[in-house]
Amino acid sequence: MAKSPFAISRALTPEELRARRSALVRLGLAWLAMMQVMMFALPGYLRRDSYGHDNLEVLDSAIVLMNWVSLTMTVPVVLYCAWPVWKGTLRAIRNRHVTMDVPVAISMIAAFVPSVYATITRHGEVYFDSVTMFIAFLLTARFLEERARMAIDNVRFATQMKELREPLMAKSDRVAMWFIAVQLSIAAIVAAYWWMVDPVLALPIMVSLLVMSCPCALALAAPATLAAAHTMLAACPDLDTKQLHQLFTGARKITNQNLYGALVFHLISTPLAAVGLVTPWLAALVMFISSAAVVANAWRLCRMPVDGSADSAHAMAG
Amino acid sequence: MEFLYLLLPVSMLFVLMIAALLWWAVFSGQYDDPEQDGKSILEDDDTHGSDD
Repeated sequence: MAKSPFAISRALTPEELRARRSALVRLGLAWLAMMQVMMFALPGYLRRDSYGHDNLEVLDSAIVLMNWVSLTMTVPVVLYCAWPVWKGTLRAIRNRHVTMDVPVAISMIAAFVPSVYATITRHGEVYFDSVTMFIAFLLTARFLEERARMAIDNVRFATQMKELREPLMAKSDRVAMWFIAVQLSIAAIVAAYWWMVDPVLALPIMVSLLVMSCPCALALAAPATLAAAHTMLAACPDLDTKQLHQLFTGARKITNQNLYGALVFHLISTPLAAVGLVTPWLAALVMFISSAAVVANAWRLCRMPVDGSADSAHAMAG
Repeated sequence: MEFLYLLLPVSMLFVLMIAALLWWAVFSGQYDDPEQDGKSILEDDDTHGSDD
């Protein structure tokens, strides 16, 4: 039976319920603000210097107005919706241990602060649409990840699942850390290069690269596969050792596919962003698509034939 | 240009109202278990049927 992405897999404790509700509200508000800000950003994208003096004057004053409205809508998104990211960043700084929140916080600041400056001085590009889009997509990816993580508890093969889980999580954390380090250095080097060649392009290119440095797809790789494996186990609880082994081999294979697939995808899109072909909002979309692809690939595990029991599993999980 | 001074505040008011509604809906528990909410109509207890 098809499950809603918002469905829960077991009864939640009061704390978990509270966390889930606020995650859902943050997510919903970010999507709402994102759509509004995208609409207000449209005049900026339509602006061409060839429009003629009078038209440009009207358009520019409209754009200033729209920028202020976008700013008002982006502030609550950055402060309230992205609050878990700030909290995670503060914790990372206190512990001196880089987590995935750090590059996210850096990209938010890099896109938001220059946009505020551009709004106040009425000169330059604003990236409020990219900021809100980034936060909305990121929160969606995290919400799915959290759900995947919760699905792992409460199953007959809990010990075996733990044995499967730990090395996979450790591996994807290691890959993600390297990925963040490399992406951040690339962003810094490329931005410095463009700053010397063409300062106007330096900011959008840096923002795109920073947005793409968010390892959402990598962060989802293992939890999504583990959730799929869990669904298989819940659907056919009477697997024998051989079938279990088969399932776990499949889970490892798909996690590797996810990890390296996401890496290759980012490797291809990074040079495109470095030469300025990927705008910040497109980078946010790219990030979201890679996360969605990882989740979709993980759920293929539910369709994997595990000898005789495959049909029943498929019917329940598919 | 002047119409923007009316339309922008109106749209922001709408957004604010939708945000408040969403906030209320989530924190009053309407999204706590959508799977169960969907099934509840099928699992309704019909044994004590109504009089008519």
